[in-house]
Amino acid sequence: MTVHSYYLPRSLPEALDLLADHGPSLLVMAGGTVVMPLINEGLSLPEAVMGLRRAGLDRLERTDGMLTIGATATLTQLLEQDAVPMLRDAARNTASWSIRNMGTVGGNLFTPPPGGDVAVALLALDATVTLASATARRDLPLADFYTGFMTDRLADDELLVEVRVPIPTAPTAYIKFGRKHANTPAVVTVAVRLAWDGGAVTDARIALGAVGPHPIRARDAERWLIGTTLGPDAIAAAASAAAKECEPFTDAIATDWYRRRMTGVFVARALEQLAPGAGGKGG
Amino acid sequence: MASTIVTFELGDDREVEVMVRPMTTLQTVLRNQLGLTATKEGCRQGGCGSCAVLVDGEPMLSCLLPVEDVAGRRVTTLESLTPTEGLHPIQQAFIDGYAFQCGYCTPGMVIVAAALLDHDSAPSVDDIRWALAGNICRCTGYGPIVEAIGAAAETIGAGQVEEPR
Repeated sequence: MTVHSYYLPRSLPEALDLLADHGPSLLVMAGGTVVMPLINEGLSLPEAVMGLRRAGLDRLERTDGMLTIGATATLTQLLEQDAVPMLRDAARNTASWSIRNMGTVGGNLFTPPPGGDVAVALLALDATVTLASATARRDLPLADFYTGFMTDRLADDELLVEVRVPIPTAPTAYIKFGRKHANTPAVVTVAVRLAWDGGAVTDARIALGAVGPHPIRARDAERWLIGTTLGPDAIAAAASAAAKECEPFTDAIATDWYRRRMTGVFVARALEQLAPGAGGKGG
Repeated sequence: MASTIVTFELGDDREVEVMVRPMTTLQTVLRNQLGLTATKEGCRQGGCGSCAVLVDGEPMLSCLLPVEDVAGRRVTTLESLTPTEGLHPIQQAFIDGYAFQCGYCTPGMVIVAAALLDHDSAPSVDDIRWALAGNICRCTGYGPIVEAIGAAAETIGAGQVEEPR
């Protein structure tokens, strides 16, 4: 263990001042479920680490049509809320009980694929992230946050402090497909949210996990749904488009070929849950 | 930064104070400084569950917890769960049900089972499996473990044994 300094700030201003003082060499850790394994294994050798567990960023707040989630709210807290069922599904399908008690929503946004199952749901929900530095604060759509594998728009002096989610008014679908029923990395994760007007789809969000360098939108697939009544042809077209546009990789869990195939299969299944007459889950 | 002193509650009635280098894990403190070796060191990656402890009654993995993070909080290990006389009903059920072979995963299994029964005194088989999803056993097989936890729930529920916590 080479860590010389471990800071546990008691407030956001204190955390931001520490970050401003130290600069990018300060490793920021929330629940520790991603960072600690790297430190334990000697793969990360930081001199200074800041833990956010005591920084008071763990609140969940529901205000007219919006769920605001503090960056260090745990996945267990997400599982226990009922404002946004898709986020409950996402939390339920992430890791194990002990890890959900530790891992945070903010941290999940920085978990490399095939992890980051909650981030996939947040992307489908049009979440906004709030980034703060000691001197400024700005909001960014999650859809614009990622720039590549493990890269994003967070500046060196910024912390992600909260995530805001518009509470959906129509049913949503979330499927994580892994090789086991629980505590398993994703082969592919699919999150879908649709807007309807008079039986036709007016807007669509299809977010995919574990088939790209970060959670991605399947924008071609989304376009196939607009104006349709979500019949079998529209579903098949969207599923095929999603399989085409995703950017899967090969790892110990699955090959890129299999991930692409399963992307088509599970986009179709998620859409079928939302098709008229399927009795969607709501929320 | 020099070593610091961290104080936390151990079980229900003991306060401990340890001097640690920055970011020493709770696992290392328990095993190497306090001599409490029921908490096992398995993968140190958060993947095996053998180092599970309760923090304020909720299961967490001590290999992923800098001990500074639990300052002022209550940590429960298998040692603190075990009564002075006899065994915890879950421990007894593990013996009665042959729910271990090598025993390495057992402390983590019992800790998580204790937390489960605290939340839900009559869990279904699915509930038990769900709770144990983060605890890996490589020799017993999960069947006897799940059955033992169900049996312990019945024992505690029937009031045959007071849950000694």
